Amino acid sequence: MTEWWADVVAKFVAAFITKDRWRLYLNGLGLTMEIAFFAGIIGIILGIIIALCRLSRSRNGGKTFLSVIAGIYIDVIRGTPSVLQLLIMWFIIMKNTTNSVLVASLAFGINSGAYVAEIFRAGILAVDPGQTEAGRSVGLSKSQTMLYIVLPQAIKNALPPICNEFITLIKETAIVGYVGLSDLTRVANQITSRTYEAFMPLIGAAVIYFVVIKILTMLLGILERRLRKSDNR
Amino acid sequence: MITVKDLKKNFEDTEVLKGISYEVGKGEKIVVVGPSGSGKSTFLRCLTLLEMPTSGKIFLEDQEITDPKTDINKIRQQMGMVFQHFNLFNNLTIMDNITLAPVKLGLMKKEEAKENALQLLNRVNLPEKADSYPAQLSGGQKQRIAIVRSLAMNPKVMLFDEPTSALDPEMVGEVLAVMKELAESGMTMIVVTHEMAFAKEVANKVLFVDQGIIMEENTPEEFFDHPKSPRLQDFLSRVL
Repeated sequence: MTEWWADVVAKFVAAFITKDRWRLYLNGLGLTMEIAFFAGIIGIILGIIIALCRLSRSRNGGKTFLSVIAGIYIDVIRGTPSVLQLLIMWFIIMKNTTNSVLVASLAFGINSGAYVAEIFRAGILAVDPGQTEAGRSVGLSKSQTMLYIVLPQAIKNALPPICNEFITLIKETAIVGYVGLSDLTRVANQITSRTYEAFMPLIGAAVIYFVVIKILTMLLGILERRLRKSDNR
Repeated sequence: MITVKDLKKNFEDTEVLKGISYEVGKGEKIVVVGPSGSGKSTFLRCLTLLEMPTSGKIFLEDQEITDPKTDINKIRQQMGMVFQHFNLFNNLTIMDNITLAPVKLGLMKKEEAKENALQLLNRVNLPEKADSYPAQLSGGQKQRIAIVRSLAMNPKVMLFDEPTSALDPEMVGEVLAVMKELAESGMTMIVVTHEMAFAKEVANKVLFVDQGIIMEENTPEEFFDHPKSPRLQDFLSRVL
């Protein structure tokens, strides 16, 4: 029993303490969060724009050019693997760019934007059409009605699934290892190949992801409850 | 004030309005009644192009509303619309509901709009609700606010689309009282409603819309006491 325990401790030390390896995990986590953060912002901005384009209609009710373009964008992004999108961004579209965080953030942001667009589209469609009618009836233009009345309510509707999308995004950044960036997952993998011991680094990385996302979920839960409270004041 | 010429509206293959022509004079109070599905709400909604007419012309004074070159937003600023389901802006306080359009459209400064809104709120006895949200109000209160929101634009005409149909019975009176007061102030009004007592009391003219046309129009006395067409006689026998 003591022998087994000593072995566990030794593996733990090799995985986390020796040569200050815990710093590598921390740096990896930092990179993961950095990419997720910027990609999240790009995704939300892109998502709102794409959702508005997607919902735009011409005077006679037909789809506009922008709506068709937005539809194609969503189809293409959802229809191809995100690893492939990252590789294409890295090796083809932005192969001369040296800022690797920028490239990764863009790739994930553009990917996330398609999903966020669909979330916002649903959020906008869930707002009672009477709100739009009332806005137009007092003389506000289409865009004023959207900006002051529909979007604020749509964003509230969309908040829970948006949070969900962000959590997915954090985990999905684990594929940046494919293009050589040392995020949390890749760090764990590298340490495994250095210590010839997989359990501690991999489980350790999993625990770190879990704790970070759990904390985030709890924070978002508080935010959501606060918003809901303002509903039935 | 409002002239309607041979207004037709189709929804896909269904002909809802089959040619309505009518003229509403300044200060007139027109009440529109009819069975459900008769097209009376569609008629009202066509007047501000919430529904796009299939054919026909509509004029507000000398401006043709149905002309594609007309800025419909400018027209709508002059025509207040009150809905069955109130449609107050859920994300805004009562004060912001009332002042949003006048301020954002550049018609009034913020302070001026607020002052005006408070006066209007006093007129419907709801000044204490200025900072509340729509979700905190009763149906009758919401509808009175919706009327005030339209009035804040100083419209030339007010349209009411079954304003009391979604209300609990005990709240109908408070909304009708506001509408009566508005009528007495000289506002031009077109009201689609099932409140026959209101029609008798307030209307100059009552229209019976059925099967997509104005089947009968008359003064309230004649309309209710001596209905001519059998369909109106039948309708009145069921609602009175």
